[in-house]
Amino acid sequence: MNIVVCLKQVPKKDSILRIGSDGKWIDERDISYEMSEADAYALEEALRQKEKHGGEVIVVSLGPERARQSIKEALAKGADRAIHLFDSVFDTATDSAAVARAISAALKDEKYDLILTGLQSDDYGFAQVGLIVAEQLGLPSATIVMEVQPEDSAVRVKRELESGWFQWVRLPMPALLTIQSGINQLRYATLKGIMAAKKKEIREVKAADIGLTSDDLKPGQVIERAYLPEKTKRTEFIEGKPAEAAAKLVEKLRFDARVI
Amino acid sequence: MTIERETLEMDVLLVGAGPANLACGLHLTKLIAAYNERSKQSGTKPLDEVNIAVIEKAAEIGAHQLSGAVLDPISLRELIPDFENEGAPLEAPVGEEHVYFLSEQGKIPLPILPPPLRNHGNFVVSLNKLTRWLGEKCEAAGVNIFPEFPGTEMLYDNGAVIGVRTGDKGIDKTGNPKPNFEPGVDITAKVTVLGEGVRGSLAKQLINRLKLDAGSDPQVYSVGIKELWEMPDDRFAPGSVIHTMGWPLDSHTFGGSWVYGMRDRIIDIGLAVGLDYRDPSIDPHHEFQRFKTHPLIKDLLGGGKLIRYGAKAMPVGGWYTMPQLTSDGVMIIGDSAGLLNGERLKGIHTAIKAGMLAAETIVDALIKGDFTRNTLGVFDKKLKDSFVGSELYKARNFHQAFDRGRMFGLITEGVSVLTGGRLPSKLPIKAGHEHMRMLKADEHTDRYAGLKYDDKLTFDKLTDVYYSTTHHDEDQPAHLKVADFNICVDQCTREYGNPCQSFCPANVYEMVDAGEGKRRLQINFSNCVHCKTCDIMDPYQIIDWVPPEGGGGPNYRNM
Repeated sequence: MNIVVCLKQVPKKDSILRIGSDGKWIDERDISYEMSEADAYALEEALRQKEKHGGEVIVVSLGPERARQSIKEALAKGADRAIHLFDSVFDTATDSAAVARAISAALKDEKYDLILTGLQSDDYGFAQVGLIVAEQLGLPSATIVMEVQPEDSAVRVKRELESGWFQWVRLPMPALLTIQSGINQLRYATLKGIMAAKKKEIREVKAADIGLTSDDLKPGQVIERAYLPEKTKRTEFIEGKPAEAAAKLVEKLRFDARVI
Repeated sequence: MTIERETLEMDVLLVGAGPANLACGLHLTKLIAAYNERSKQSGTKPLDEVNIAVIEKAAEIGAHQLSGAVLDPISLRELIPDFENEGAPLEAPVGEEHVYFLSEQGKIPLPILPPPLRNHGNFVVSLNKLTRWLGEKCEAAGVNIFPEFPGTEMLYDNGAVIGVRTGDKGIDKTGNPKPNFEPGVDITAKVTVLGEGVRGSLAKQLINRLKLDAGSDPQVYSVGIKELWEMPDDRFAPGSVIHTMGWPLDSHTFGGSWVYGMRDRIIDIGLAVGLDYRDPSIDPHHEFQRFKTHPLIKDLLGGGKLIRYGAKAMPVGGWYTMPQLTSDGVMIIGDSAGLLNGERLKGIHTAIKAGMLAAETIVDALIKGDFTRNTLGVFDKKLKDSFVGSELYKARNFHQAFDRGRMFGLITEGVSVLTGGRLPSKLPIKAGHEHMRMLKADEHTDRYAGLKYDDKLTFDKLTDVYYSTTHHDEDQPAHLKVADFNICVDQCTREYGNPCQSFCPANVYEMVDAGEGKRRLQINFSNCVHCKTCDIMDPYQIIDWVPPEGGGGPNYRNM
């Protein structure tokens, strides 16, 4: 079974973020990057399926040169080869649809049974790229996947619903699944894995290689402004008898402040 | 539980990706290539492929590197002659320099710069950036670099070092393996080089076991507390340098501050505090916060924003405290070897030079096929004959003079600088923690009662720790091993007032209520910034700092 995993590199959790001088995104200097968490679980799921069923795990990532570090990590953990969409033309692809167009184009000639992505990225959090890729490649898809059970030419997946409910769905393969964080336990890259990864292929793909121009990658939506949460302060006196005031306070804490 | 471990065979294993080992790795690749080129021409046998590996406990190369830093480029120039054009990340050449002696409100500029503090021709750098860059150079030259792999145990065969075991991964907080348990690997090598930085955990094991410090004085340390500030304007030009002595440190506490101008309106500011102070309630972090309230600094930082925090100890004992640097199969370099020049506040240039000299020695050993001290021991001599040796020799009595208090230190230092280190006799020194004096019964008062945190200029420890972006997986055993907790709750509270709560700059140690009127020591190990102060300064020497799971620790950028 051949599995494609889409990886995105994002600013490391707990990074100290500063807004960039254009006010539209963070200042990318002096921060560290890592594989987006849900994508790391998608990769782990792919590696486990490969260990059970054989085949190949191919990672694909769109990003600047630094994204190579996350790609190498995936290869060190056991992915077989990688496609790095690396071209300044891709810089214009800042919304999900444009990124998905690039990924779909890069996967056009690949043979795969499953495409796994993280449920959503830790930076933009749109949760869209996977679904748009499925649409563009004409694949069935399932989101918020908690468990993956391949059966001959189909795959059964457990989806997470609200309030502790789950749903089992069967999809014909090839299919695209967006993976929920925490569905398995991530492995560590081993020294031997890191050594072996040096010999694995990372194919760099430019926009022209997959027949795309900057016009194809124009985003349909742009970020107008990025800003840190603005602190606001409001003081309110609750009048009345202690018992009534306490009840009112609880109500406010629960429904207005949403802290309990 | 018996664990099956894999073995990875290397020729040269460099433990710790700091300037010393990265210089060693890079220089090795050059020397080997040059030797093989020469042997091709002369028809002699070239060296077989030499596999070089660097292991590093941080998640990324440079993430645990913190220094002032003003770089004396002497050895970088030798390693990479055209470093400016090769893209070395330099902030700026040192420009305007000032040294002040501070009182609580005032400042007295020193009319002439003391020669050891003259920095003309040097560069303000971020050690973190410089190390990342050296790491990239090494990788491009074919050195294997493995971040997230701390060395936890030395491997011996008949007394000779044959490599290092890396740390296990995936152990839960009770010490049991998790489902993703990954045992550490035995990396064997003909030569193992410990360049783990200050108070290296393997160096500590090795020096104790082989008694490499038998002929040396005890090492003494300082801890540097550092913040980066982003300013709204260009008030402090890149390359500007201020050093201060005096306030807020008392006259029995060694230390001083630095303020360096970096690029992009960033000010690098810090305070070094000697880890041989007398009063057990001294808190280096708090001293640094007080320092920032001095009018000179308050005005300088006004309107700016804290963006980073970190802390790191440094060895300042110098010449007489260096251990024997080699034994069969092993060498010690950089801060692990105590090569920092405390008088000049510099250790990067000596670390790089030591790495290069180690590389020369290793190539000789590879050619001879002899990795015993017979060959490696040449390094001890080479180092002492190099500028590293002459610098450290000149400054041999520097910290020792301050061992008796600031006045004696300043006067003796003056004489020492004028005479090239020649004093009537070698000054004695003892380990820093032995200077800590016991509290009298009525003395358990708060030295910092007047210190307020306004969250603009001054910050409490936890806020500062947030700016170090340190992180450890919580589900692992604490990596601060306290040999006897009973000493903490009883003897230490009475005698020293639990100074671990004060000397730790990251709020790792906390005495908490244990019920029934008792207290216990809580170790918040995930706050740890890997500065090593606790291992050094604990008056009972019962704290052992061992590496946590690989990848844990601060994530310094631009520090």
